[in-house]
Amino acid sequence: MQTRSPLRTPVAVMVALAGLAAALAVVGPSTGAEALDPKILKMEQERIAAIEKVRPAVVSVFSPGGQGGGSGVLVDEDGYVLTNFHVVAGRGAAGANPHMQCGLSDGVLYDSVLVGLDKVGDVAMIRLLPKTDKAGKVTSPKGGKFPFAKMGDSDKVRAGDWSMAMGNPFLLATDFTPTVTFGLVSGVHRYQYPEGKGLLEYTDCIQIDTSINPGNSGGPLFTMQGDLIGINGRGSFEKRGRVNSGVGYAISINQIKNFEGQLRAGIDTDHASTGFLVAERSEDGAAKMTVTEILPDCDAERRGISSGDLLISFAGRPTESVNHYKNVLGIYPRGWRVPLKYRHDNESKESLVRLMGVLRKEIAEPGKPNGGPQPIVAAPPPPPPAVAKLYEAKPGFANFYFNKQERNRLLKTFVANNGDFAGLTGTWTIKGDGKVKDTAATVEFKIAEEADKEGKRETTVRYSKGGVDNLYVLQPLKQGLTQEDLESPPDSGGVLVALMHYRQLLALGEKGFPGDGFSHGGSEPFYLPTDDAKPDYTKQRVECEVLATKLGSVPAKWYFSKKDGTLLGGEVSLVEREKDPCELYFSDYKKDTAGRNLPHKIEVRYGKSRFAVINVTTFEVK
Amino acid sequence: MRILPAFLRPLAALVLLLGLGAASARAEDSFADVAEKVNNKLVKVFGAGGFLGIPSYGTGILVSGDGHILTVASQMLETRDLRIHLANGDRYHAKIVAVEPELDLAMLKIEEKDVKTPDFYDITAEAQKAVVEPGTGVLAISNQFNVAMRAEPMSVQRGVVAAYSKLRGRRGINQAPYDGEVYFVDAIMCNPGGGGGALTTRDGKQLLGVVGKELRNTLSDTWINYAVPLQGKITIKGEKETKTVTVGDFVSQAIKGTYVTRDPKEKKKSSNLYTGIVLVPNVVERTPPYVEELDPNSPAARAGFKPDDLIVYVDGEQVVSIKEFKDAMDRYEPGAELKVEVRRGDKLSTLTLKLEDRGKKKP
Repeated sequence: MQTRSPLRTPVAVMVALAGLAAALAVVGPSTGAEALDPKILKMEQERIAAIEKVRPAVVSVFSPGGQGGGSGVLVDEDGYVLTNFHVVAGRGAAGANPHMQCGLSDGVLYDSVLVGLDKVGDVAMIRLLPKTDKAGKVTSPKGGKFPFAKMGDSDKVRAGDWSMAMGNPFLLATDFTPTVTFGLVSGVHRYQYPEGKGLLEYTDCIQIDTSINPGNSGGPLFTMQGDLIGINGRGSFEKRGRVNSGVGYAISINQIKNFEGQLRAGIDTDHASTGFLVAERSEDGAAKMTVTEILPDCDAERRGISSGDLLISFAGRPTESVNHYKNVLGIYPRGWRVPLKYRHDNESKESLVRLMGVLRKEIAEPGKPNGGPQPIVAAPPPPPPAVAKLYEAKPGFANFYFNKQERNRLLKTFVANNGDFAGLTGTWTIKGDGKVKDTAATVEFKIAEEADKEGKRETTVRYSKGGVDNLYVLQPLKQGLTQEDLESPPDSGGVLVALMHYRQLLALGEKGFPGDGFSHGGSEPFYLPTDDAKPDYTKQRVECEVLATKLGSVPAKWYFSKKDGTLLGGEVSLVEREKDPCELYFSDYKKDTAGRNLPHKIEVRYGKSRFAVINVTTFEVK
Repeated sequence: MRILPAFLRPLAALVLLLGLGAASARAEDSFADVAEKVNNKLVKVFGAGGFLGIPSYGTGILVSGDGHILTVASQMLETRDLRIHLANGDRYHAKIVAVEPELDLAMLKIEEKDVKTPDFYDITAEAQKAVVEPGTGVLAISNQFNVAMRAEPMSVQRGVVAAYSKLRGRRGINQAPYDGEVYFVDAIMCNPGGGGGALTTRDGKQLLGVVGKELRNTLSDTWINYAVPLQGKITIKGEKETKTVTVGDFVSQAIKGTYVTRDPKEKKKSSNLYTGIVLVPNVVERTPPYVEELDPNSPAARAGFKPDDLIVYVDGEQVVSIKEFKDAMDRYEPGAELKVEVRRGDKLSTLTLKLEDRGKKKP
């Protein structure tokens, strides 16, 4: 007997179709095609709701001149958008286009200005400009507030979770409504090697089988509830060409959160390196990371790490493979301090390590672009005036305009909460008692402008201790001082210079640091000092905004608490990188008669030891 | 359930499945736990390769408590330095214990003594479960692109069984040896390193098959994503008898050490074949296979070949050069009957060519 598919002949097809209708009636509504399982309908409704919720925040990003584009996502109502660096890469001063055009799903096309860059991590921040009528009144978005996506917690994401990607693959959306794809998170904490010039290194990234294609770059990856967990940007492409092959990668949002302060401050950021090399060593079948080489005089070496030491954990995360190590390192900006646990001579230790940079600084020639990835062939048209007004090129910055904005905002908050010290360039006197090098002592610091024999005024710092007046007198800005002079008193790391900088900052502000020595340094964690032999760095950590200053050849970082703008401390580096900075810690703030907040506990640390802790009895500012 | 007319049963089954399949896969439910459980039974395999598009890494499935690993047969395994990483990152050496070229599968074993792998799949039990229907949701877990290092979990993808049908795959000119039924899946799981991974149902309760290699479908020339089902079988014609070997048989015998690895199907020497076609001289690297002349009374003459014909397809496989034509012909034995498509002028003609043995040419 011939076995043939019953549908092969046309007659059979007709019969089958007729029969199907009958069969559906026969089989019953619960399994018929018209009556879907209510669970499916519910899933579909939830998906639709999630998409509706986040779609308004998804951005179609276009290069000026229409040469290319990608996607982005709004992260606050002021119009700040996250995207990939390679979407905005171009011929601008920092290797990026100052101006991009962005469409939202309501069909409106907005101008945007570049804000901040993280080239190594392939992140860029831009800001959408609301549309205004001729009178300057905002016409779009409604009320001048942009819809935005809520940032989730990418560390909570697991392989096997559902996820949703939205963006503009193949630039299909001529009406700016994003394409939605959904699929699984295939892996988390993945590592992808950088592409050329050390850029676009995807560390600790999220791997997805959610289809992403060229054009999705810079766009959001959401949980099914609509929380932003990543920015899509790369994929594994091989034999099937540069289209989705089931393996895509998104930068984790938690990494971007670490860089957010730097991005908003318009900085052209750098990623972190430790100053030492590691190698995998098999111990009992399991892999361990050991330090093989360490740069002499780098911060890690000064903290006590040496060749042969075993890494146990880095910033609280275990380091059991090269990928682990690179993943942990890759999520931090240069300059951050993170705790490092290691085993040295069979003893477990933990130290805070200052992270160095990754990119080699290219010396920018004035007027020439500061290096970057392949430039787009045609020069883009100049940005419209509204955008040009918000853009200022400067080496080291993506857009110095935003740095000034952030800097001024920070200072305003500080002044509002702590009082205005502007113009108080008279004598500052700090008197107190406490310990100097673990010995009880009373100390006095006096900082003032003093005229010398020729009548020239020099900032002078006087240090008195235990009744001995003027134990050390220093004029930090004078020429011809030796390193020893500058670092006085000995073992303080240069506290006299540091205090001078402190007064300069509060009393003179920008004017006190001529020659571009005054900028916003992004966000960094600050660690409150403790007398514990084994501090719990997670407990001691405070999130801060940094003001970066430079006076002469001496850079400093000042830490302002994100919560209320309190100046918690500063680091003044007499010898940048090669030696530890002098660390100042301010606490126990009390208001003086003029209503100004002054710290009544000052701690001075240098390297591994504490130089002094002073309970201030008199703090006079004139 | 009511009795349906026979010809409607497949349709009704499909309709039923749309209901059942979906209910077991809520979009919000994460597969994280399933992925983790499956991952623990898989190993990362490292061997030879890293050039000409052949990856030096792949995946394998633990099938015994003593470190037996089921994977796809590939050139990567041809090395003395075959290494595997368990899910917890432990590294061991492995050796091939058996290969079944027609199933395109291989069995490895950890070489180090006394290594126990208690988390493994019982293939005999899994193979007794029913083959799942198209429309069933699946997960594919493998170390494709070698994204996961050491103890990092492998990659999980989701998909749906698109079809259960015969594999007609090729990699370059080489036909895939297994031509039995496979699961075709819509997830792009056959990427470098994916071969040897696990295809499971979405609840993780059934191991469906072994993720396959990077192959193109011979008819459409498109990349396919397939997995060799545990129920897959081949027929082996021995000297005296014909026997059926299933994947389950291969695995259980290989674990016992009783599976006899046969030589892969040898390429037939072209000197045995006689067609009577004389091609144009093979001068440049990719001389197209134009017929110059035909032997009188030859199989080609009887099939209707004419001088100046351009041979385009041999048995459905495109041949763009004389070399490709010869390689394609090497796969056949005297007595085989092939469909050959030729371009004559601007028309394509299909000819049926019966191959003869050179030593037994008909006069």
